[in-house]
Amino acid sequence: MGALGKPIILMVAMYAFLKFVLPNIPGSAPLPSSLIFLYLLLTAGGIFMFETVSGESKDAFWNPIQRFLTGENIGGLQALRYGVFILFPLLVGWQTYGSTAVSDLPPTESRTIHPAPPGEYTGLSNPVPKTPDNIMQGKGFYAAYCSPCHGGNFDGKGPAARGFIPAPANFADPTTIAMLQESYLFWRIKKGGVGLPIEGAPWKSAMPRWEVELPDEWIWKIILGEYDGAHQSPRTWE
Amino acid sequence: MKPANRIMKRVLRDGTAAIAAMIIAGASLGYAQENVSVRATLLTGGVPVDDPGAAVWSSAPPATFPMSPQVHWQNRIQEVTVKDVIVRALHDGTQVAVLVEYTDPTQDPDDAAALEFMVGDKKAHFAHGQPMLQVEGGPVNIWFWKNKTGKALDMSAKGFGTLKPQEHQDVTAKGVYSNGTWKVVFARKLLTGHADEDVQITAGQFMSISFAVWDGRKDAVGELVEKGSQKAVSSWWYFRADAPPDYSGYMYAAIAAVLGLGFQFVLIRKLKKGQ
Ligand code: HEC
Repeated sequence: MGALGKPIILMVAMYAFLKFVLPNIPGSAPLPSSLIFLYLLLTAGGIFMFETVSGESKDAFWNPIQRFLTGENIGGLQALRYGVFILFPLLVGWQTYGSTAVSDLPPTESRTIHPAPPGEYTGLSNPVPKTPDNIMQGKGFYAAYCSPCHGGNFDGKGPAARGFIPAPANFADPTTIAMLQESYLFWRIKKGGVGLPIEGAPWKSAMPRWEVELPDEWIWKIILGEYDGAHQSPRTWE
Repeated sequence: MKPANRIMKRVLRDGTAAIAAMIIAGASLGYAQENVSVRATLLTGGVPVDDPGAAVWSSAPPATFPMSPQVHWQNRIQEVTVKDVIVRALHDGTQVAVLVEYTDPTQDPDDAAALEFMVGDKKAHFAHGQPMLQVEGGPVNIWFWKNKTGKALDMSAKGFGTLKPQEHQDVTAKGVYSNGTWKVVFARKLLTGHADEDVQITAGQFMSISFAVWDGRKDAVGELVEKGSQKAVSSWWYFRADAPPDYSGYMYAAIAAVLGLGFQFVLIRKLKKGQ
């Protein structure tokens, strides 16, 4: 297989990376197929340049391709050769169609779920002592103000949750308050959805801006009640 | 078999696999996202601006949107009658009509429904375009219908307490109640002369829409249960008026395919000559 095997493996690996690995890296999104196509073309171009720098590897790389294209002494592969000749223009046409067609889908939206808080909300510690009494009070406030959306079971399934997108956070899920600090929660509860930066898509969030209704002390108590009720503990400075 | 042949077989097998994978990549993109938006179907001939029962509505695909009791700001309400709205839309290049349908066990004078749109390029918060703290928002345009008045109010808001009827009333509405179901048609021209306060609807473009419904029932002491901010609300969803069909993509594809074919011929001729 020699000079041709590696480039092919490389192309397939590149494709797999673009299609399956890259979209799963936090902060990125699935690539449109036209972009994947472009990247693959660039990769192919790069391989081609690399393979053709030295004379010998150039021959090992080119000769089989050339023989296949001209159809000399390739025996049973003749049919495949015609197949490629039919497929290639179709592929070019299909790619062109795909890149000019207007999408029927609404614009894709990526929303950063945990954007950075403003500086003054980093590193605050809860001034309310974690006593059974304060936890109980916090749970009471939670039941009154938060449970309609976040649910009496802290699972994000409150009776008012159904229409809101993004959905109210599920505090029992390990990817919400369990990976956040109390200081971060204090910011989110005080400023609500409208306090999010642009990458958090504040115009869509139903999370109320509680500072207009609740004193800070209540918010700190709610945080105690929330962690306790959801059986989570805040992330601390490691 | 000669080694060269084996190589070529390999090339072909792997190449076909790569091409197949590329085709799958393109095709799967179509399913990548849940497609929930209101599509205003393009029709020729008039839009049924005051007839929620017109037969032509069946040509518009229905989209269902979940509603929540408004618990986002004061005054709140914990339970509302309407849980979902079904929405259809039609346009003819000049007029657009939006049909909102929902179940409500009783017809009351204070039954009401509204559409909300973002106006202009700036995003607006779904709750009346209330100010955002780190992002400069835009206004919203609200089309409001009430059973009692039997007509629409064309309104603007940018924040709580700023909702007011516009000087230019461009919207009409008509509601028909039967068998426990309200069907309300809102209609307007796609474009108005007031882009600063009215949503301008351009065919082919996605814009943001949301919904609100008030069940005008009264409680035991004769007070309205749902009124003002106490209503059923939805999140932002997308709205788009269909553009006229465009076949140019097929033409470009055909040209590209012919070019590809030509390229092959030239390449092979050159290769053959060169040997
Ligand atoms: C109107 C519904 C609603 C109510 C009531 C509500 N929330 Fe939320 N909350 C949301 C939504 C929707 C989100 C997700 C969007 C966002 O992050 O802004 C959210 C997100 C949060 C988050 C962020 C979680 C994370 O992982 O980033 C916290 C913390 C939170 N809410 C706490 C509260 C507390 C405490 C209360 C009561 C004082 C409350 N919420 C009341 C709707 C609500």
